[in-house]
Amino acid sequence: MSHLTMGNRFKKRYGGWSNRLRHTVRRRLRVVIPYAVIGVAVLVGAALFFEPPEWGIWVAFAALFVFLEFFAVEVNDRLMQSSGVMVMMTAGVIFAVEPGSDATLGMVLMGVVASVTPTDIKERRWFQPLANFGQMCLAAGVAGFLLDVNLGHLEGATNESLLRVAVASSLAALAYVTTQHILIRRAVKIVFGSDNLEPWSKMGVLFSGQVVMGLLGGLIGAAIVIANRPAILVLIVGVYGIGHMSLYAFGQLRDSHIGSLRGFVKTLEAKDMYTRGHTERVAYFAQLIGEELAFTGTQLEEVRWAALIHDLGKLAVPTELIRKRGRLDDDEYEVMKDHAHLVEEILAEVDFLQPMVEIASGHHSHFDGNGYGGSGHIEGKAPSLESCIVAVADSFDAMTSARSYRMALSQQYALEELRRHSGGQFHPDVVDAFERALDKTRRRWGAPHVNDEEMARRLAEEPELTLRG
Amino acid sequence: MVEWRSRNVAILSWAFPATCIAVALIALPLAESTPLRLMIGVTALVIGSLIGVATSNSGNRFTTGLAVAAAMPLVLVDDAGGVDFAGVVVVYGAGLAVVWALRLSRGESHVELLPTLVRRLAGYYIYALVYASMRVGVFAEFDGGWQDLLPFGVALFAWLGVEVGLRALLVLGPRELSRTYLARALLHDLNVFLGLTLTGALFGELHPALNWWALPIALLPYSFAHTAFARFQETKVTYKQTIRALARIPEVSGLGIDGHADRTTEIAAAIAKEMGLGPVQVEHIEFAGLMHDIGRVSLNEPQILKMGYTNDDIARWSAEIIAEAPYLDRVADDVRNQYEPFRRPGEEADPDISIISRVIKVAAAYDWEIYQEGRTPLQALEHLHAGTAYEYDTQVVASLRRLLTTRGVLEPHVEARPQPPTSGHPDS
Repeated sequence: MSHLTMGNRFKKRYGGWSNRLRHTVRRRLRVVIPYAVIGVAVLVGAALFFEPPEWGIWVAFAALFVFLEFFAVEVNDRLMQSSGVMVMMTAGVIFAVEPGSDATLGMVLMGVVASVTPTDIKERRWFQPLANFGQMCLAAGVAGFLLDVNLGHLEGATNESLLRVAVASSLAALAYVTTQHILIRRAVKIVFGSDNLEPWSKMGVLFSGQVVMGLLGGLIGAAIVIANRPAILVLIVGVYGIGHMSLYAFGQLRDSHIGSLRGFVKTLEAKDMYTRGHTERVAYFAQLIGEELAFTGTQLEEVRWAALIHDLGKLAVPTELIRKRGRLDDDEYEVMKDHAHLVEEILAEVDFLQPMVEIASGHHSHFDGNGYGGSGHIEGKAPSLESCIVAVADSFDAMTSARSYRMALSQQYALEELRRHSGGQFHPDVVDAFERALDKTRRRWGAPHVNDEEMARRLAEEPELTLRG
Repeated sequence: MVEWRSRNVAILSWAFPATCIAVALIALPLAESTPLRLMIGVTALVIGSLIGVATSNSGNRFTTGLAVAAAMPLVLVDDAGGVDFAGVVVVYGAGLAVVWALRLSRGESHVELLPTLVRRLAGYYIYALVYASMRVGVFAEFDGGWQDLLPFGVALFAWLGVEVGLRALLVLGPRELSRTYLARALLHDLNVFLGLTLTGALFGELHPALNWWALPIALLPYSFAHTAFARFQETKVTYKQTIRALARIPEVSGLGIDGHADRTTEIAAAIAKEMGLGPVQVEHIEFAGLMHDIGRVSLNEPQILKMGYTNDDIARWSAEIIAEAPYLDRVADDVRNQYEPFRRPGEEADPDISIISRVIKVAAAYDWEIYQEGRTPLQALEHLHAGTAYEYDTQVVASLRRLLTTRGVLEPHVEARPQPPTSGHPDS
C-alpha cells in the first residue's frame, strides 16, 4: 500500500472507465503542490534537526527498500502490497538505537529515493512521483520521529530492550501506515472527486498486516543491533528475498490463472459473433451490483468469477440450438437446461472454483423458485443472492445486445423488463441495486430507441437497418 | 525376484537406524555439549522433520528439519569456539533414527523411506564436516563478520551437491524417471532449500547473542517465505485443475474421445521425465497435452461439419484458442505442430518441430491405438515403431518402450486397460 501508483494501473485495466475518470491538470496540481511542499519541508526539517545515519548501512537498506517497493505484490483484489514498511522499520530501529545517528533523516531519505519508479520515468509522469514524494516523506518523517523519541536514548540495545523496541516499532508502523493512508485517500478524493474508488477504497484491508510487518521489521532491527553480526543482515535479506520472489511469482501465476480462463472463455465465445464479449459484460455488471450491495474482497471476487464461468456449459450445447430463433421445443429446452449441469460437470475437479460453480449453475433459477439450475436448484426455493446477481446481469446483457433474430433492445426497455419480473424471476433487491449502480456509471447500453421486442425483430429482418455488435 | 528384492530392501532399511544409533553412541562420549543441549537438538530435528514444506510441482518434499540441521554446527560449539563435531554427529544420528521409526509407523514403504533418509544423513554429515573443517585454521579467528558466511556457503554447496547427486543415483524400486530429471527437479526447488537452510544459519548466528529470542526472530522472515511457497504451490495446483477441467469441454460435449486428453498428458509427461527433460519442459508438455485437442469444440459448428475437417484443422483451432490465454500461449506453437511428421523422406528432421510436439504426437497416437483401435500396448507400440524415423521421433518411441517395460504392460497377454496414474516420485 505504501506505494500506490495513482491512475496508471487503474486506467490500463479498466480502459472503459477512463472517460468517467478524466481528471484535469488543475486537480492534479491541487494535490501535487501542497504534497511537494510538505515533502520538502519534512526533508529540510529532518536535515536540520537530526543526525544523518551511517551511510554504508543506509545505502544497503535504501536499495532493499526500493527493490521491495518496485516488486510490490498484488494481494486480494488488485491491491498492491509491498513489504517495504518492514525494511523501513528495521532501518529506523537501527538508526535510532545506534549512537550518533537518528532514524528521522535516514527514513525520510529512504522515502525520497523510492518515490520515483522506473515506470514514472519511462512514461514521463510527474504527478505520481511528486505526490508519492510528499506522502512518503511525511509518513517516514512521522514514523522516524516516533522511533527517535522512544528509542533514541537507548544508545545500544540489549535483550531487555526488545519489548520496548517492539512497542515503539508498532507505534511507528501504525503512524507510517496511517499517514500514507490518509494522504493517498485525500489525493484520490481531490483528483477523482470521490475516494470511494477501487482499489483505494479497500486499502483498509491491508492496515493491520502492514502494522504487524512494521513490528516484525523493528524486532529484526533490534536483533541486528544486539547480536552485532553483519552476517545476520545478509541471511535475513536472503530468506526474505527468496520469500518475496516466491510471492511475486505467486502473484504473476494468479494473474495468468485468471487471464487464462478469461482468454479461453473469450476465444470460445468469439466463435459466435452474437455472444462475443457477453461474459466480460456480465462480469462487469455483476461486479457493479456486488459493489452496490456492499460486497467485499472474496465475496466480490466469487461473483466475478461466477459470471466469468456462467456460460461455460453452453460451449457443450450444439451451436444451432443456441442460435435458434424463437421458442425452443421441449426436447431442445431439456438440452439447454443441461448446460447448468454441464458447468458443474466440467469444473467438478477445480476445488477452489466450487463456490463460484454453485453460483454460476444457479443463474437460471428464479427468485420465486421456478426456472432450472444445477444440482443446487430446488423447486420452490430461492437461489443464493450471488446467483440472483449473475441472473440479473446475464438477462440484462442478453436483452441489450443483438441476437441473430433481433436487434439489441434499449436499456430503458431492459430495465423495465427486469422491474416487471422483479420478485418473480429476479431478486427485487438485486434489481434495485443494479438500477442504482447503472445510474451512477452514466453509461447506456443497448440500442437507444428500440423499445419493444416486436420492433427489434422487425429491424433485424430488414438488412439495411441491421446494426451489429 | 520382486519378493526377494523387497525383503532385502527391508533388511537394509532396518540397518539404517541401527547404524545411526551405533554412530551416535560412539560419538556421545566425545561430545562436548551438555546432554540437555543434545536432547533439545534431537527433539528439534525430529519435530522439524515432521513439518513438510510446500514445493513446486517437481514432487520433492522438504521439511523444516533441513533448517534445524543447518543450524546445528553453528549452535553446538566447543569451548574453543570451534564446532562440536561429535555433538553434531550424535544429534543427526539419533534424530534421523527417530524420524525413520516415526515415518515407518506412518505407513511409508521402505523403498521410499530408505533412499530419502540415507540422502538426508549423507547431506547433513557432509555439510557439518565441511563447515567444521573450515572453521579450523584461518576461519577460526573470525567471529560474526561477513567472513562467517564463507564456511557456511561452501558447506551448503557441498550439501546441495550430495543431495542432488544422491537424488539421481539412489533410487530403489521401479525407475520410471530418468536420473537427469530427478536432479533437475531438485534444482528446480532450490529456493525452498535455500530458504530453509539460510533460516537455520540465521538462527545459529543469532543464538549466541539473543539466546532463545533467536527462535522467533529467525522464524519471522521464514514464516513470510513459507506463506509465499504455500500460496504459489496452491495456485499452481488450482491452475492445473482449471486447465484440466477446460480440456474436458470437448469430451463433455461428446466431441472428443472420453479421457483422451488426460491419458495423453499422463503418458506424455511420463515420457518426458523418462527422457530427462527439465521440470519446466515437463510442465509445458502437460499443458500442451491437455490442450492438444481443445480445438474439437469447433466441431459443433454446423458449417464446419458440412465442410469437413482434418486433424491439422483441429491442431490449428486448438492453437488459436490457447494463443489467447496468457501462460498457455507459450505452448501454442507446440500444439499447432503436433501432427507434423518428425521428418519427411529425404530431409533432415525439422528443427521447428519442438520436442514437446514430438512427445505429444507419440503419446496421443499411443492412446488412440489403444482406446480407438482396441490394440494391446504391445501391438500399439509395434504400430508406432513402424512409423519411427519419419512419422514419430525414434528417441521418443524408444522412451515410451522403456516406460511401458517398467510399468510391466508389454507382456503379450496384457489387454488394453487404463494406465494406472504414476505413483508420483518418492519423497525426498
